[in-house]
Amino acid sequence: MGATTRIATKDLKLRIRDRSAIITGIIAPLFLAFIFQLIFGGAFDQSLDLSFGLVDLDGTEVSAGLGQVLDAIEGEGVATVERFGSRAEAEDAIEEGGADAFILIDEGLGRSVMTNMEATIEVVGDVDAPTSTQIAESIATQYATGVGAAQLAVGTTAAASGTPLTPDFIASLSADPATAAFSYELTDVTTATRQLDATTYFAAGMAVFFLFFTVQFGVLGLLEEERDGTLARLKAAPISRASIVAGKALLAFLLGLISTSVLVVSTQLLLGASWGSPLGVAVLVVAGVLAAVGIMGLVAAMARTPEGAGNLGAIIAVILGMLGGVFFQLGSGDDFLSRLTFITPHAWFMRGLADLADGAPWTAALPAAGAILVFAVSTGSVGWLLLRRRISE
Amino acid sequence: MGGRNEEPDGAVRVLRPQPGAPLAHILTADGLVKRFGDLTAVDGVSIQISEGETFGLLGPNGAGKTTSISMIAGLLEPDSGRVEVDGIAITTRTTKGKVNIGLVPQDLAIYPDLTAVENLKFFGHLYGKDGSGLEKRIDEVLVVIGLSDRRNDLVKEYSGGMKRRLNIGIGLLHRPRLLILDEPTVGVDPQSRNAILESVENLSAEGMAVLYTTHYMEEAERLCDRVAIIDEGRVKAEGTRRELVAMVGEKDRIVIGATGDLTAGAAAAGGVPGVVSASGTETRIDVLADDASVILPELLGRVGAAGASISGVEVVEPNLEAVFLHLTGKALRD
Repeated sequence: MGATTRIATKDLKLRIRDRSAIITGIIAPLFLAFIFQLIFGGAFDQSLDLSFGLVDLDGTEVSAGLGQVLDAIEGEGVATVERFGSRAEAEDAIEEGGADAFILIDEGLGRSVMTNMEATIEVVGDVDAPTSTQIAESIATQYATGVGAAQLAVGTTAAASGTPLTPDFIASLSADPATAAFSYELTDVTTATRQLDATTYFAAGMAVFFLFFTVQFGVLGLLEEERDGTLARLKAAPISRASIVAGKALLAFLLGLISTSVLVVSTQLLLGASWGSPLGVAVLVVAGVLAAVGIMGLVAAMARTPEGAGNLGAIIAVILGMLGGVFFQLGSGDDFLSRLTFITPHAWFMRGLADLADGAPWTAALPAAGAILVFAVSTGSVGWLLLRRRISE
Repeated sequence: MGGRNEEPDGAVRVLRPQPGAPLAHILTADGLVKRFGDLTAVDGVSIQISEGETFGLLGPNGAGKTTSISMIAGLLEPDSGRVEVDGIAITTRTTKGKVNIGLVPQDLAIYPDLTAVENLKFFGHLYGKDGSGLEKRIDEVLVVIGLSDRRNDLVKEYSGGMKRRLNIGIGLLHRPRLLILDEPTVGVDPQSRNAILESVENLSAEGMAVLYTTHYMEEAERLCDRVAIIDEGRVKAEGTRRELVAMVGEKDRIVIGATGDLTAGAAAAGGVPGVVSASGTETRIDVLADDASVILPELLGRVGAAGASISGVEVVEPNLEAVFLHLTGKALRD
């Protein structure tokens, strides 16, 4: 057994003996994952319950097109749609909680479309159901866009052929101009950015969050040896100084690997988490542990004392964890905040696990693992050099 | 042994070789210099130690003792100068030569959450020891440091003195050619201190070369064959205790308790070769001499013959404290 392994083994014995690594690495994240799952799990899995109303005062083929769109949405089970005879009736329904929002098509829409004039579709929503109102607006806007495109096509054809724009001519161009030009797409934004179920999400989040605290027990060992005077004895021994740093890094890696592995298995068995392909998870875990060792090694190299390194490491771990979305998803879709999260290995770890969801092969985790390894190599190499220089002074 | 002694004015005196001293040098440190910014912590320190010799580095706190031994042990790279232990050059990057060095740092360098055996085993492994040979050696060391009965207790449950003894035990576990002890008795109770000093005496008797730093004059006088007095990073003087005393001109003081004609007795004492001065009072005769051990029989014979009735004799030899004061202008514990 070489000096690196001897040092790592000795430190592992010390860490097991003082129990702090076990509490931080296994018990705390397991407990928190369980608590989060209890608190947020229901809300996390809750699907949208949409109810729309339609007030069609126009009664033409054009307005019927919007009705068909809403019926199709209802048919897919995404929302319920109710028709009202008047604005007042629809407003009463919203007041009484019978609908979240309604779309009002005033009389004259069909004629305006046929004569290439401007027309208005109104959306009225419950202030307590902003999401439903937003979706109703979106449906109405898309419908109006489709109708506008049809208007433009008809107008252009008439102008080109020199034919007067009569209702018969328009009908000859398209039997159903409203629906022909309209397509809709209803997307549950929350579901798109989170493909993990709540239990797995929180288990993975806590695992990667506490991983950064756990590996600290390894890398900070070097600073503790320096503080406690034992580093002098190690430096006086017939071993290379690189082996001293390597021993600490090895322990950090082992602690991270052991704690994360235990968490993966225990959350699967105890909480029912679904991590995906074991090989893919293993690749992600190894990459994640290496990144944690690299980042915390860099932190240790920059700090003067173990206490200072511990504090700085905790701040960085919390910031990276929050930014990386281990507690909740930051941003949605492709906005700036969502992209910002990917400056953390945490977000890539979560992304990698999401990529493994639904029975994806282990190779699905490789892009995320590669990104995590970039963090590991870039921070780890700088940390290694700084620590080597530090103990050589 | 020859010595290279430097006076406060920078002049160097060469001391006479010590008769019968061993000649094989285990440690050769030559012209060590270490600067920290504008501060020159060690300025041209040279030390040679032979097999079986205990060499003391005596100086106050901040004199450069720990920096010197850090360079000798390969913990610190000197700005200039060289170190060889048993013929192998020592640097911070050396691994091979360090197996010949046992270091006992001033601060405790042990793991409190391991037992004594676990501590010894871990460091033994780092020095390439293993198996039954290591187990046997651990048993021997535990006997030497008196911790056999507490071998499997966690070190954090030990007293301060026991921790100090284990700190030493780790340093000598691998049978080094050179044992470096940096103020090993600081903060130790008298009983443990005596045990530590006895251990060092035994190791020296077994042939180990020992470099011992201390600011306790009594320890240096008891243990060390030769002493270097270091202050402000420079070796002010080096030699045996008697050589150092002779160098600064300090004399032995002999107090003879007596009755009778003490005036005649003092006059007789003054005539003994080697006596610098002698004076009588009502109850005693005070004599200053170069070396009390040489003249004492003749001195007592002449005083008795002069009519004095001798009731007691006390010899007060000049100590290193006085030498240090003479060389540096300050007390050792300043």
